[in-house]
Amino acid sequence: MGRYVIRRLLQAIPVLVGTTFLIFAIVYALPGDPLQALAGEKRVDPVFAAALREQFHLNDPLIVRYGYYVRDILSGDFGTTFRGLPVSTIFEGKFVVTFKLAMTALIFEAIIGVGLGFWAALRRGKWEDKAILAWTLLLVSIPTLVSGFVLQLVLGVSLKKALGFGLFPVAGVQDGWRSYLLPGFVLATVSIAYLTRLTRTSLMETLRADYVRTAVAKGMPRRRVLGRHALRNSLIPLVTYLGADLGTLMGGAVITETIFNLPGIGQQLFQSVYLRENDVVVGIVTVLVLIYILANLVVDLLYAVLDPRIRYE
Amino acid sequence: MRVTKGAQIVVGTALLALAVAACGGGGGDTSGAGSSAGTGAAGAVRVEIAEPQHDLIPGNTTETSGAEVLNALFVGLVDYDADKKPYNRVAESIESEDSKTWTIKLKTTYKWHNGEPVVAQNFVDSWNYTANGANAQEGNYFFGSIAGYDELNPGEGKTASATTLSGLKVVDDTTFTVELKNPFSGFPTMLGYTAFYGLPKAAFESEGKLKADFGSNPVGNGPFKMSKPWKRGSDQTISTVRNDDFSEGKAKIDAVDFKIYTDLNTAFNDLRAGNLDIMDQLPAEAISTAKNEFGDRYIEQPSSGVGYIGFPIKNGADYAKNKDIRKAISMAIDRKTITETVFSGTRVPADDFISPVVSGYRQGACGEACTYDPAKAKELFTSAGGASMGPIEIGYNADGGHKEWIEAVANNLRTNLGVEVTPKPVEKFATILDDLGAKKWSGSFRMAWIMDYPSPENYLRPIFGSGASSNYSGYADKKFDDLLTQGDSASSIEEGIKFYQQADDLLLQEMPYIPVYFYQTNGAYSNHVKNVKIDPFERIDLFNVEKA
Repeated sequence: MGRYVIRRLLQAIPVLVGTTFLIFAIVYALPGDPLQALAGEKRVDPVFAAALREQFHLNDPLIVRYGYYVRDILSGDFGTTFRGLPVSTIFEGKFVVTFKLAMTALIFEAIIGVGLGFWAALRRGKWEDKAILAWTLLLVSIPTLVSGFVLQLVLGVSLKKALGFGLFPVAGVQDGWRSYLLPGFVLATVSIAYLTRLTRTSLMETLRADYVRTAVAKGMPRRRVLGRHALRNSLIPLVTYLGADLGTLMGGAVITETIFNLPGIGQQLFQSVYLRENDVVVGIVTVLVLIYILANLVVDLLYAVLDPRIRYE
Repeated sequence: MRVTKGAQIVVGTALLALAVAACGGGGGDTSGAGSSAGTGAAGAVRVEIAEPQHDLIPGNTTETSGAEVLNALFVGLVDYDADKKPYNRVAESIESEDSKTWTIKLKTTYKWHNGEPVVAQNFVDSWNYTANGANAQEGNYFFGSIAGYDELNPGEGKTASATTLSGLKVVDDTTFTVELKNPFSGFPTMLGYTAFYGLPKAAFESEGKLKADFGSNPVGNGPFKMSKPWKRGSDQTISTVRNDDFSEGKAKIDAVDFKIYTDLNTAFNDLRAGNLDIMDQLPAEAISTAKNEFGDRYIEQPSSGVGYIGFPIKNGADYAKNKDIRKAISMAIDRKTITETVFSGTRVPADDFISPVVSGYRQGACGEACTYDPAKAKELFTSAGGASMGPIEIGYNADGGHKEWIEAVANNLRTNLGVEVTPKPVEKFATILDDLGAKKWSGSFRMAWIMDYPSPENYLRPIFGSGASSNYSGYADKKFDDLLTQGDSASSIEEGIKFYQQADDLLLQEMPYIPVYFYQTNGAYSNHVKNVKIDPFERIDLFNVEKA
């Protein structure tokens, strides 16, 4: 299995090189002068701009700039923004925030999504099942922007006014783990719905399988049949989904982070694309790609735990 | 029925979230407060800002958020009173006989947060640092009027022949002189601006070199001092505490936390929930709610910005070159309705090129040309041959929330002048500026100006002076330039204003730009604080804020 892990990690190298170059090229291809963004609506001072162009190699062709970038990365320097902030400083605090947010969301997904899906599958066709299906449909159809602001207003502002103390912080990360509850839930909503439906279908299919019928027929307790045989075997598609979703959550947190004022990388990515801070954009995307690769690797390794028939070579 | 259902869903979701929070959330994220979360001092007054673009260095700060923080940490040579006139603060006197060589005397009572006295050398050091092109400070251009600036900023590819401004001379500890390149009677009005704050000796590593960490933990001379260093890019709060040694006395509040928000709606929700105390800028959607909800604690006052529609009068299309057509367009714009409906009252109709926040503004100066009169506009437009000049193009940047008012103006022109109008969105404002610079833009364009220092001159020369840095219309008039020069060399600020107003009158005749609206400051504060005042720079007078 060790060899398998190493091979997978080696495969990641060309993927990383390819994606960084692509992102690099795309960001540089955006129209307009990146330095103009520094001056806002005023014209940027030409001498000042010339000095920065020199410093950031903006006059060189794309491939040369990419070369400089890779050289700096290899020596551990992630570059600086045009406003003189080291990219590594931006990473330090922000990835932690987004990671916590994504983990909170993932936990919500796993608990609510799997739980509800499980329940719905057991109550197939009954009113509980129908209610859960309707609820998931509703979750999918409400955009994050709406659910975020509504929950912020209801649970953050109104609830605090009614109770006299804040149960859910409106914004920011000052309140520790409680700060992540509301945004984590908002971020998770759509995935919760998908996961509920996925669990329901997957479990229902397993329940119809021969070995489950055999287990029931030989008089095994219902709890054991469900927990040991049915659930464990229906977990494989769910783990796949959750693994892939971690990457999506980390990259897709822009709206949630903005609404709840969490200083994470989603926000940073949006601003940096807007301000054409290429080094920041490429850096963030590189790390996101890495997370995707690692999450997928973990998922693949988990398969073997869930189903011992799966072997790696 | 629908409403009840919606409410049920919301409540259901809320209960579910609560339940999950109780059982699952705790296990999920046990690491506690993120290390990046600045937890402010208890009882601190919390003020909303956006993230300052640079470290907290006065000479490198030209945006309002950084200036807001620096305003708490520093006091400048002058400040501005309720009538927008400068008065001396650190300066004892600022005098000149010819408006060219200025003698600035300092009061001896001010001290830096580290105990150093505030001396003349501090200002000279700080200004030399900012004016030095090699240091790439954003406030660099403010020093362009001081003698010796060109030697420090020789232009691209050339080496500077000096490291200090030849126009600055220290006479003694409390006196220094400033020699300008040309006379400028309004010079004292510039000195309250952030870029002109002094810096203590402790800021410099060696002569002309700032300490690397100074910007994250600046030492000022103001009513508040940093309570801990601010880490740009990760800290969400900039925490300051009262400076008990401040020579003007103690501020009435113990501490100020500047909280960084990226979204105004979020900040407004925090204000309503009582997690934030002062916002000096509200989201436009919230204005009507805020008026009701905050009552006396809602602030509405003019700010320094002016919004225009500009014309490339030298290189543009035929309609842009014709003064009567420009006037007709101006008269066909229903400013009142646009400011009230499109901007929900966050702007007011403009009636001068000079903003109401500076002395020298004259109400109604624009007269007939800025008064909505569709009939007269049409008459003027037709007699000037506007109908044959093709469609009118109005360029705007699509990223700045300008679509709505440009569309409204376009509709005004279509209805009132019977002309074809094409609003032309462009991704970024810089694109329009580039095209104007390259003489490729022939249509009209939206434009705005926010003052650098409160002098009427700042609304005239940089935008309309011949060959000025932000002159995008191509307007060039010797008489106009002469009047500005006369205003500059006048013997007093009041004397100077008379000439600036004459120059303004010339503009109002020619209308290279059409003034459309003045910006407003719409702020609000929580019931934890009182006596909140905002100056024309949109800075909060934190020294006088009290706890309610």
